Amino acid sequence: MLQISGWIALGLIALAWIFSDIDFADLFSARRMDNFSRFAERALPDPLRQPGDGASLGAWVTEQMNLYGWRGMGATLGISVIAIVLAGGIGSILGAFGARNLMSAHPFVPHATAGHGACNHALDHVAQAVRILCILLRAIPEYIWAYLLLAMLGSSAWPAILALAIHNSGILGRLGGETIENLPSEPLRAMSMAGATRKEITIAGVFPMALGRYLLYFFYRFETCVREATVLGMLGIVSLGYYISESRAHDQYDELIFLVILGGVLVMFADILSDLARRWLRRSV
Amino acid sequence: MTTPPAAFRLSGVDVQLGGKPVLQDLSLEIGAGEHVALVGPSGAGKTTLLRAFTGVIGPRKGYVEVDGVRLDQLKPEELRSLRSQIGFVHQDHSLVPNLRVSQNVVAGRLGQRGFLSALRSMMRTKKEDLQEVHQILERVGIGEKLFQRTDSLSGGQQQRVALARALYQQPTCLLADEPVASVDPARARSLIRLMVELAKEDGWTLVVSLHNLNLARDFFPRVLGLRHGKVAYDGPPSALCEEQIHDLYHLEETAFGEGR
Repeated sequence: MLQISGWIALGLIALAWIFSDIDFADLFSARRMDNFSRFAERALPDPLRQPGDGASLGAWVTEQMNLYGWRGMGATLGISVIAIVLAGGIGSILGAFGARNLMSAHPFVPHATAGHGACNHALDHVAQAVRILCILLRAIPEYIWAYLLLAMLGSSAWPAILALAIHNSGILGRLGGETIENLPSEPLRAMSMAGATRKEITIAGVFPMALGRYLLYFFYRFETCVREATVLGMLGIVSLGYYISESRAHDQYDELIFLVILGGVLVMFADILSDLARRWLRRSV
Repeated sequence: MTTPPAAFRLSGVDVQLGGKPVLQDLSLEIGAGEHVALVGPSGAGKTTLLRAFTGVIGPRKGYVEVDGVRLDQLKPEELRSLRSQIGFVHQDHSLVPNLRVSQNVVAGRLGQRGFLSALRSMMRTKKEDLQEVHQILERVGIGEKLFQRTDSLSGGQQQRVALARALYQQPTCLLADEPVASVDPARARSLIRLMVELAKEDGWTLVVSLHNLNLARDFFPRVLGLRHGKVAYDGPPSALCEEQIHDLYHLEETAFGEGR
């Protein structure tokens, strides 16, 4: 199996080489090497470029943090937190309306025919429509949503927030719907048998039971949001990505590398945070 | 004086599930305030019969009446209101595992509240409601579990929570589907005794399906034996002779033996 995969991979590379304009030798040409060594030289933090001046590295880091670091990190985190909270709220609503077991004429009592004629197929269509909407929302990448929203709203943090919120609503809507469809039906049927309405079953049974798993997805997407919020900055939205592209424009490669590392640290921080939250959730919800 | 309508009446009821007949041309009556044990082998249709009483499973032929009202003629909201008066204890407890005991019990009255009041009762139960829930839990013997997470309780304790939820409905009748299937014999006996005592105190109609014929004999004046979706025995347990018991349960063996 491994061997076959290996041959297929080699074959694909050969095909790409033959049928595309990619020049593999170009990667190792003198010009590329030259560019890289220039970059590597300038990427070294300013104080380290002058030998024997390592002590001022701390001061340089502080300066960088005060210049763009804190602002960029704060904005990135702010954008992703607002976005994921919005997405979490919208996704939970989409999830409930897209869950086929909840949106049936007789929720959780599949064999009921009492109250003949009450069979309401409109609800099935609503669920179908919501599921298609979710597909649309998540089929368009965050980056494209942000691009469109920038054109509509102009430059501010909102295109990034809304782009992340829209895309993740689609994802959380689908995952939320699936979570609800996979819930054990017995407790929900019991509520239905005690005369509870669909809405009441939703708040008293569906949401409490689905909450734990939904929050797992929520925190996982939060992590992704932090990463994407950095990337969206490249479109000119004030997040870390914006300052990264600015440093590149000004040939400040040391600053650029510093901000890239900062982005990595932020994602790691979100990663740990969501990991802790998810571990806690697994134990207690 | 007119006689009060039967609590439950089935008239020529046929139920099919997944294309298989489960109840066949079943007619029976259970009077208001009666205590009935439903016995029979697995697959005889006991669960289906109990669910048909609440309109959760609709018959293909015939009709079900509750307190003189035909279920198939009720509007959905009327059916809901009727269901809210029928307590049902499920074999698998059917509780929400990650809610507190108090919340699971409060859920019993969802069908009797408006949406906002239901929401409030689940999120922040009022003090007087909590007191009522606590009293009911005391009655079923687990008052101290009020604020515990439901899934931290043992199977027997969860069954009591399920009973408490049905009690909180203030029902006119209680249906219980194999309520002691997962409880050890001593606890099974005490739980059935508790149900019968509560039913006597509050004057409910009580229908309990049981696997254990001894419990049926000891606690119920009327035994209803089901076999292949039909009534195989209906009468006092004292009149149930060995041959009839054999008929009721022997068929289970042959059914398994013949792979039907």
